[in-house]
Amino acid sequence: MAIPITVPRLGWNMEQGVFVGWLKADGATIRAGESLFTLESEKATEDIEAFDEGVLHIPANGPSNGDVVLVGIIIGFVLQPGEPIPIAPLTPVVGKEGLGVRGSESRTKNTTFKQGASPPSPQSSPPVTGEREQDHPASSPRARRTAANLGLDWKAATGTGRTGRIRERDVLAMAAPVSSTRRIIAERMLTSLRSTAPVTLTTTIDATNLVKLRKEWKDGLVPSYTDFFVKSAALALEKHPVLNSRWQNDRIVPCDGIHIGIAVDTDAGLLAPVVRDVLRLSLKELSTRTHDLVERARQRKLSLNELQGGTFTVTSLGAFGIDAFTPIINFPECAILGIGRIRRCPVVLDEQIVIRDQVTLSLTFDHRITDGAPAARFLQTLSGLVENPNFV
Amino acid sequence: MASTPIGKDRLLSLYRNMLLIRRCEEQLAKSHQRGLIHGACHTYVGQEAIAVGVCAHLRTEDAVFSTHRGHGHALAKGVSAEQLIAELYGRATGCSRGRGGSMHLFAPEVGMMGTSGIVGACILQAAGAGYSFKLMKSAGVAVAFFGDGAVNNGAFHEGLNLASIWKLPVLFVCENNEFATEIPFRYAAGNPTVASRAASYGMPGLDLDGNDVLAIHAAAADAVQRARQGGGPTLLECRTYRTRAHAEGMGDFTYRTREDVEAWKPRCPIVQLRANLLKAALASEGELAALETQVAAAVESAHASAEKASWPEPASAATHIYAKASTSPGTAAPGLMREITYMQATLEALTHEMARNPRIFVLGEGIGKRGGNFKTTAGLYDLHGPERLCDTPISERGFVGLGGGAAMTGTRPVIDFMFADFILDAVGEIVNQIAKIQYMSDGRIKMPILLRGCIGIGHSAATHHSGNYYPMYAHFPGLRVVVPSTPYDAKGLLHHALRCDDPVLFLEHRELLSLKGPVPEGDYESPFGQAAVVRAGKDVTVVALAFMVQRALKACETLAAEGVSVELIDPRTVAPLDFETIARSVQKTGRLLIVDEAFAPFGIGAEIAAQISDHGFDDLDAPIRRLNGVHTPTPYSPPLEHAVVPNVEAIAQAIRALVAE
Repeated sequence: MAIPITVPRLGWNMEQGVFVGWLKADGATIRAGESLFTLESEKATEDIEAFDEGVLHIPANGPSNGDVVLVGIIIGFVLQPGEPIPIAPLTPVVGKEGLGVRGSESRTKNTTFKQGASPPSPQSSPPVTGEREQDHPASSPRARRTAANLGLDWKAATGTGRTGRIRERDVLAMAAPVSSTRRIIAERMLTSLRSTAPVTLTTTIDATNLVKLRKEWKDGLVPSYTDFFVKSAALALEKHPVLNSRWQNDRIVPCDGIHIGIAVDTDAGLLAPVVRDVLRLSLKELSTRTHDLVERARQRKLSLNELQGGTFTVTSLGAFGIDAFTPIINFPECAILGIGRIRRCPVVLDEQIVIRDQVTLSLTFDHRITDGAPAARFLQTLSGLVENPNFV
Repeated sequence: MASTPIGKDRLLSLYRNMLLIRRCEEQLAKSHQRGLIHGACHTYVGQEAIAVGVCAHLRTEDAVFSTHRGHGHALAKGVSAEQLIAELYGRATGCSRGRGGSMHLFAPEVGMMGTSGIVGACILQAAGAGYSFKLMKSAGVAVAFFGDGAVNNGAFHEGLNLASIWKLPVLFVCENNEFATEIPFRYAAGNPTVASRAASYGMPGLDLDGNDVLAIHAAAADAVQRARQGGGPTLLECRTYRTRAHAEGMGDFTYRTREDVEAWKPRCPIVQLRANLLKAALASEGELAALETQVAAAVESAHASAEKASWPEPASAATHIYAKASTSPGTAAPGLMREITYMQATLEALTHEMARNPRIFVLGEGIGKRGGNFKTTAGLYDLHGPERLCDTPISERGFVGLGGGAAMTGTRPVIDFMFADFILDAVGEIVNQIAKIQYMSDGRIKMPILLRGCIGIGHSAATHHSGNYYPMYAHFPGLRVVVPSTPYDAKGLLHHALRCDDPVLFLEHRELLSLKGPVPEGDYESPFGQAAVVRAGKDVTVVALAFMVQRALKACETLAAEGVSVELIDPRTVAPLDFETIARSVQKTGRLLIVDEAFAPFGIGAEIAAQISDHGFDDLDAPIRRLNGVHTPTPYSPPLEHAVVPNVEAIAQAIRALVAE
């Protein structure tokens, strides 16, 4: 029996994804465990594994590379030798829902198919000639305006109009991957603000010794200040485990291990890949690990696993000249540490005005889980480590 | 043939007025040659006795209507030489503010109600003014001056007959100068006299020497008196000759000889009167010479000031096409809501307006005692009598043109034409006169006329009782065109139409007449140019007109069940057309379908589509679609008839197709 290949759900809130491309050719023999195709979700790109053996059948009207596809739809089949090719509806593409169609049930019913499936309209225009296809496709003025407003190239959209004309909905569908990343971020930020009682503490501490120490690191990969703060935060969390716990079903649950997310600014938006078991890593190891994660985050090559399971997050806006800010907790974690820029300042030290390196730390914590004093004590510990970096 | 003795002052005044016309015409001929006149110039040289002889009996409030050769009539009715000359020079101080030139002279302030470039229109308008005077019980008299070219035109026949059956106070003054431009009257008429035609209409007809001012003066005295006393109209045929070309600069001797013209010159009315005055020792040579010098100086000075007068502002080129909205439409005290029919709704509005405004009268076939073919005037005859509910002969051009003249002179006619097809005979009056008068008079004459009747296909009425025609009327500036689709709108729009000063085509789809709907008891006005959003929606905009609104509404319900949300807009008036509401809707939906029973080519849908492409191009997510009645005369047999009108399923299908675009 033909086994359908469907679009899997990657992550709890995924409803659609971008079909990146097949990794096997039509007719290829597939063994279980081999990668079949690549699918991009809001936050990660995954190779999807085959669970069955057989011959891959890619229908002609299946999704093209770059199409937005709904979770759950059939995009191909694994056939047993000699098995006939099944006749089945294929490739509903997001944004092709009929106008005015409401609810997911009718959406599935009303999705139009990419080729062949819709009956020719009695009023259809003369067939598009080969030459015409060389040009960009027909598009509605509204679609072009919407594309311009969204900063998109309408020519890249897949037209779903009667004659293949690109309509506004096609442009909106094209915008979906970008806007859904944004949507996920928005939802998470709002969830955090609605579900926690955030309080931000700021303190300015001396980083002169840290700056000095970093200058001494010469060979190989020099750990970044962020690496240093991540490591220091892990050490401080070990002493103040309440900041490494989470609120869960009216209970405060301590987390297993210290896994710190690092906020990374990417073209697609904010991502926070997680460095696991920070305490087990030396500063150098940590540095190698974060370097790799940041690189792959920017290339959108992180696996979903690498984006999940954090217990605390560190975010730095120092590179942009920001001193203090009020970071939003990466829910359901307890706290997030914001690092400002390191700056040379006149400071009173032993009744003398001297030039020192200063850094401001901004700690947002969930006041439901802990109180101001414990959070402040955590900051004190952290400050101590920064001011005496050799302990790290 | 002067039957009553005329005093010296009156004689000198006749002489002076003829001379003024002559000197003005000579000045204009000269100015034409010098290039001061920018268009045509039709002079009245040789015919002065007629205008002067007739107008000597007129009061300021009496109304004169004339033709393309109207300089003399204007001057004789009291337009100043300077206003006349400035008009031909195209100046802001001209009697028509530079809008008319030689053929379109308006000075309502002195009762010069207009000259027209269209032959025959003045006959009907004068009859209409006569109707106003009769209805308002004033002693006013209306005069139509026209040439022999007008008497073979339907307007002559219809106008004289209507004036006669209603005993209207009108003088029909035919200036028979032997040629209609170049066509000889002896060739163009089977009956060689005009005067004798009066017998056909049951009115007195006089055959007069048009170059004898005293003869004209005497005959006009009788006719004017008869008219003022309710004795009805008179036809005066004044035989005369123009001794200049039809128009300045035009060759004159292709249709007549130099000798013919020379032979008439000794019969010049001015020369004749001068000789008679001297002969009868009623004036001395010195007196007349002094008067001649005085007139020459007056004309010279009129020319000088006209030449110096300022030009009209280009920015004013399109003002006064419509009257200013007189009052803001009130929606006060609408009262109890009932379910009544479309027809009952309009009858309520008309009944109410006729009670409050004695200047309203209705003209039409069978609208008197019978109460109208569609019961449009049921019960009103008993309230207001035959003058305000006036049955007409089948004389469409006649009573429409007459209505125009009545509207120009202070009353508010309602022309109940039954079927829109019937008044195609009167389209010239509607388009050339009624629509243009407010503009041509620079807003000094109002045109409050309501033209109402049925449009639309249905009940096997076939092609002469089923036309829509509103796109045609909407094409012309100066007309309001109303196509209500519900009883509520029909009542409110009719109230508004009967209070606005513009000509209104009020077109009622026959298939809607028995449609019932909620209508408040009280009076309320629905303003023109405000579309109704009949049903709000988000996926596609459908604009439907008249009966199609009802069908489109049903199609919307079908589509709602299919998950398509349609916004249905009824423009209610096609002139003015509320593009804003349509554009706002398209901004939301990106899709537009126009459903119209009227023909597609050059129609309302084409206009809406052009406007939306112009102003809402970027809003469009699909091409604009039209669904129209088939472009064919209307057939009779039910299957054929059904095939030419969009039905509910066709509308639904058109919406589906547009959604799939």
